[in-house]
Amino acid sequence: MKKIPVLSTRNLCVGYGKKQVVKGIDLQFFPGEFVSLLGPNGAGKTTLLRTLSRHLPILDGSITLNGSNLSKIKSSDLAKIMSVVLTQKVAPPLFSVYEFVAMGRYPHTSWTGNLNREDDRVVLGALNLVRAQDLMFRDISTLSDGERQKVLIARALAQEPDIILLDEPTMHLDLKHRMEVMSILHDLCREKGICVVASLHDIEIAAKVSDRVALIKDDAIIAFGPPEDILRDDTVSKLYDFSNARFNRLLGNIEIRTAADKAKVFVIGGMGSASVLYRLLSKKGYEIATGVLLKNDIDYFVAKALGIQCLVQDDLDVISMESVQEAAKILKQCDFVIDAGFETAGLNRANLELLTGAIVLKKKIFCMNGCGQRKMFYDQNISGIRFSKTESQLVASMAASMEEREIA
Amino acid sequence: MTTTLIQTDDLADIREQTGKRRGIVYALFGIILFMIMAADVMIGSVNISLKGVFSILANHDTASVNGFIVWKIRLPRAIAAALGGGYLAVAGLLLQVFFRNPIVGPFILGISSGATLMVSFVMLTSLTLGFTVLNPFMATLAAFVGAYGTMLIVMAIASRVKSAVTLLIVGLMMGYLCHAVTSVLVAFAEQEKIKGFVLWQLGSFSGFRWSEIQIMIIGGGLICMLIYALAKPLNAFLLGEEYASSMGVNIKLFRFLILFSSCALAGMITSVAGPVAFVGLAVPHMVRLAFGTSDNKILVPGCLIVGAVVTGLCDFIARMVFSPVELPISAITAFFGAPIVISLLLRRKVILS
Repeated sequence: MKKIPVLSTRNLCVGYGKKQVVKGIDLQFFPGEFVSLLGPNGAGKTTLLRTLSRHLPILDGSITLNGSNLSKIKSSDLAKIMSVVLTQKVAPPLFSVYEFVAMGRYPHTSWTGNLNREDDRVVLGALNLVRAQDLMFRDISTLSDGERQKVLIARALAQEPDIILLDEPTMHLDLKHRMEVMSILHDLCREKGICVVASLHDIEIAAKVSDRVALIKDDAIIAFGPPEDILRDDTVSKLYDFSNARFNRLLGNIEIRTAADKAKVFVIGGMGSASVLYRLLSKKGYEIATGVLLKNDIDYFVAKALGIQCLVQDDLDVISMESVQEAAKILKQCDFVIDAGFETAGLNRANLELLTGAIVLKKKIFCMNGCGQRKMFYDQNISGIRFSKTESQLVASMAASMEEREIA
Repeated sequence: MTTTLIQTDDLADIREQTGKRRGIVYALFGIILFMIMAADVMIGSVNISLKGVFSILANHDTASVNGFIVWKIRLPRAIAAALGGGYLAVAGLLLQVFFRNPIVGPFILGISSGATLMVSFVMLTSLTLGFTVLNPFMATLAAFVGAYGTMLIVMAIASRVKSAVTLLIVGLMMGYLCHAVTSVLVAFAEQEKIKGFVLWQLGSFSGFRWSEIQIMIIGGGLICMLIYALAKPLNAFLLGEEYASSMGVNIKLFRFLILFSSCALAGMITSVAGPVAFVGLAVPHMVRLAFGTSDNKILVPGCLIVGAVVTGLCDFIARMVFSPVELPISAITAFFGAPIVISLLLRRKVILS
């Protein structure tokens, strides 16, 4: 049996006055579903939400809410089906959190607005669900941004809606509250069966919590579906016109690319030992080459997202000498060599040959102080290798040696 | 972490307790109002005892000298001051909520400026022909026309403008416009006429007739009842127009009713007493702090009663300090009211929006 959507749009056109912002919108939102609207600033996420909530008139097409035409629903009935969380800052004076959340009972109370036991029960339940019961007697103007956002969600919840529309619910929030708000919204869908539609900026979080996402770009919905299907490296780059960042579908995050204008560095890594170093070096503006990596290595995914020159061996087997020789050619052109402290027990033992090559070429080598085994490897050969305990120390000592060289 | 032990029973209890506490505050202000009105009727150039006042009122004695003073002069004045103050405070409260702006008063939309303009026509020019000698009824009529004329213009503009801030600015501009014309008239007016006009501008509750009071009670009472019925959407409006509409408030109707009621009340008082300053701006703040809430269901009756107390007291002071010279009421309201509001705000450290 096919589920019936709470809210659906048909060839909808939204905008302000005569200005059409997004056209031809066909979206369906189902009960218990978390839908994110993604897109760059000014793409029309807010305009779409405001049209769905009837704050803006429909320019063309139609919106159906619970089977009836949205334009024809009485506003008092609409308030029982749909509630909103807006971006504007609200902090009326002399309002306790409880009173504020209880305002959400508006469509359910009589003309006096007096609360009965049922109202109290719903308000308490809403406060519980957003984990804000301890804020209950605080004055709303004394809350932090994160606390206030939770209270705003509780207010929307107190309306007992079937669908909640949220405009940028994580804006201005710190990481803790951003996560908390998202997990609260997630709970609303799962536990209460409420449909949550939110415009979000954070594509990494959106990909992880949303059941479906809609990508809005250049006055149209360019894709709508499960994030696993539609959030691909190229679609995301297109969505935001990324020229210096890349979304990685497998890692579910965005890597930032920086213009390389410093020395060229060869990183010998593998098995996840070099991922942090890649980001740090890229951030500091080094040109990076790395290898030899196997195709299933996390270092490979990060390096690819960062646009690093990468020597990969396609077949998942012991790294071959051919691959190492290939890498050595590139290593030769690099100013520095970094030994990320990779494990030598497994398939990438051959990378040690690369290191030996670097020593022969009298390259300056910076080494992450990994296992003791590695120290022994170097002791047999030469001194003059710098060991660092952390990635940032390593990069700092490399920068220092670069300055020395320039002075010399 | 507080445990999650708060139950609906506790909430009902808390509500009952706050209700009781608010009842006590209402009662206190009620007693103070009674005392002020009693003093207003008893004390003056001729002092009458409380017992005397009661017997005059009970016997409907208008014949004796004291009876005349009570029935024709002091009682109408005391009632007019109380009603006027209450209505202005409610009108101010409405507009403060509507514009979500704490420094808005009942005259922000130009009601008093419109009234002043029309009064200046009557008082400062020779348009009045036969009525060159100041006739108080003419001033009242002119103010009435001016106040409600402005109200109609504001309402007409409000139906076309969407943003509340735009409307606020339109109101301010209307005020400046009227003011400009008035000042031209003042520049050309004869000296002795100007003093009368300036005094009218500062407001007075003297010389009220019972017929005027009747209109104030019935007309104002009906409007106040309407406003009380609007307390729930008014509360929703505290969260802003967008949240209010998302909760089911009919914004268009509500805007109309708010503007109509506040302008009607302000216009009514301006017609009969002149533009009494400050009460409509300050009393809503006093009431909010006294009751510790923004709930308009509490504030509307609170403003009525505290507005009456403040204005009654100020009128009494205006009449008594330099007796027999009577001070303009606006001078007293601002002189005593402003420090009170400042100290209340500082002590409670309340941030107003």
